[in-house]
Amino acid sequence: MTIVIETKDLCRYFGDSEETMVKAADHVNIEIEKGEFTAIIGPSGSGKTTVLHLMGGLDNPTSGEVELSGKNIAKMSGGELCDLRRDHIGFIFQSYNLIPVLSAEENIEYIMLLQGVKTSERKKRVKEMLALVGLSGLENRRPGKLSGGQQQRVAIARAMASRPDIILADEPTANLDSKTGIALLDVMKELNEAHDMTFVFSTHDEKIMSRASRLIHMRDGKVELDERK
Amino acid sequence: MQLVQLAFRNLFRNTRRTVLTVLLISFSLTALIITDAMMRGMTDLIVKSITETLLGEAQIHKQGFRDNFDIDLFIEDTAEIEDSLSNDPTVLAYASRTISGAMISSSYNVTGGMVYGIDADAEADLSRIKIAVETGSYLSGKPNEILIGKTMGDLLEIKLGDRIVVTLTEANTGEMTQALFRVSGLLHFGITEIDKNIAFINIDEARKLIRLGAHGAHEIAIRFRNPEDAKNTALAVFTNHNTETLESLSWLQLNKEVSSIIEMSSYGTLIIGLILFLLASLGVINSMFMSIYERIYEFGVLKAIGTRPLDLGLLIIIESLLIALISCAVGIILALLISEYTSTVGIPLGEMEFSGLAMSDRILTQFHISQITELPIYVILLTVMSGLYPAWFASKIIPTEALQRSL
Repeated sequence: MTIVIETKDLCRYFGDSEETMVKAADHVNIEIEKGEFTAIIGPSGSGKTTVLHLMGGLDNPTSGEVELSGKNIAKMSGGELCDLRRDHIGFIFQSYNLIPVLSAEENIEYIMLLQGVKTSERKKRVKEMLALVGLSGLENRRPGKLSGGQQQRVAIARAMASRPDIILADEPTANLDSKTGIALLDVMKELNEAHDMTFVFSTHDEKIMSRASRLIHMRDGKVELDERK
Repeated sequence: MQLVQLAFRNLFRNTRRTVLTVLLISFSLTALIITDAMMRGMTDLIVKSITETLLGEAQIHKQGFRDNFDIDLFIEDTAEIEDSLSNDPTVLAYASRTISGAMISSSYNVTGGMVYGIDADAEADLSRIKIAVETGSYLSGKPNEILIGKTMGDLLEIKLGDRIVVTLTEANTGEMTQALFRVSGLLHFGITEIDKNIAFINIDEARKLIRLGAHGAHEIAIRFRNPEDAKNTALAVFTNHNTETLESLSWLQLNKEVSSIIEMSSYGTLIIGLILFLLASLGVINSMFMSIYERIYEFGVLKAIGTRPLDLGLLIIIESLLIALISCAVGIILALLISEYTSTVGIPLGEMEFSGLAMSDRILTQFHISQITELPIYVILLTVMSGLYPAWFASKIIPTEALQRSL
């Protein structure tokens, strides 16, 4: 199997002194393989979001390495990390966080503009993505005119449109009602199975856990249990 | 999606705030344009007041005359100079004058003053003496006519048609001479100094009285076709008549006090502009920061998905630029509408005397192309500069911190 992302002795400590130091990630070793549907789970403060941010190059580790497709991203500069996130990682956030002044179509297109994808290719991919997440016909609506579930679907389409190696999702169903959350998870699971897309979630959500092919349990910044179903 | 389009849409996320910021900047620009137009109008008024009242835009004298108005220092033969001036295409009008200190007495009182001998016809094209006649009539060339200021008339307790005696000193000999005149007109310039101390008689009579000869004069006052020529000291009017015995000076050199006031007024516009735009810049910075703080999580997301810091900073700069452009359009339209009124109806002043100058009752603002070309460029530059700090701040947002902040 191809390893998409790998953390080696990954540590992220907050605070300056021994007494106040918080070990949000403490010697974390995780390998994510292509096509996995992984959930990092654990109680609040266990370090799952920190690990997800470190994997996505949003934060720099105190020590250790993060390798994305064989490249150590822990030592990359800010600009290199920007390019890496743009070209190799898709993000889905809890609060959807679409650009409110752009339509669904434009939100999906935005990241491809940053990538310099040609107009015709962009339009083609937007159409495909909207169809994949079941939002065809709503492309001209701005986020304010979409429901929470629909906004999160646009966020998924945006994350996928850049053709990333992996999609990192931080509590993607936390703001959704149960029914909408299930529908959304089904979309992501389908994308995972049909397109071999790799997903890593940080979550408390039982629904995600039940659908995940792999559960990484975290507590106090350490991996407590790593189970594949 | 182009950054410009995104920036434009961002402006209308909080329309009220954008409108208020635009109004702040556009009102500042309008105020600056109107101030500039008013200063130009005021300068023009001052220049006209000083040059059109009596001084002219340039004067030729015998060297040393201006030091203490020595009656003996006169130009013996003005004919050659007048001939040169009449052939000079830059000169609109000129008039020779005699100037002498005098004692002026009526049956009731006596006062000291200056008596100008003037060429009534030439003077009509050069100064405001003819226009200043409030009662009676202007000099017609008849014998014994005299025009005096209304204030001098009050002091001498005389009215139109009354007789007054003027005592003068003859040039070269220093002998006293007297002549009887009949008041043909009372003048009102609105300048105390002139209304109280100056009397005007026909130049031929003056020449005879003080013995200057047929073509003698103390002063030749000049007006140019283009008043701006007074600043050009390379003109023949100045170069040809500045000799060992003669001096030819512009009004700026003759009245340094007023030329300094005019120079200072341009700094006044600059200072007002700086204050206005310092305040407007603070408004822009405040507005941009409010807008950034509202979008801090969004900026975190934008950076997370790969937007480079430079692009994020550029987005804020473009937003500032768009605000500046909209503000300039509004400011210019507003200023032109106000200018249209103030340049025709004017800004009322009431009759006033300022530093020896009679100001008319209103300032007519003056439009100048730089008001809608240069001033808006400064506004755009300052507004964009005001956006630099917020742009730098936005570009430095750390995604993880921004994402945590609003969770």
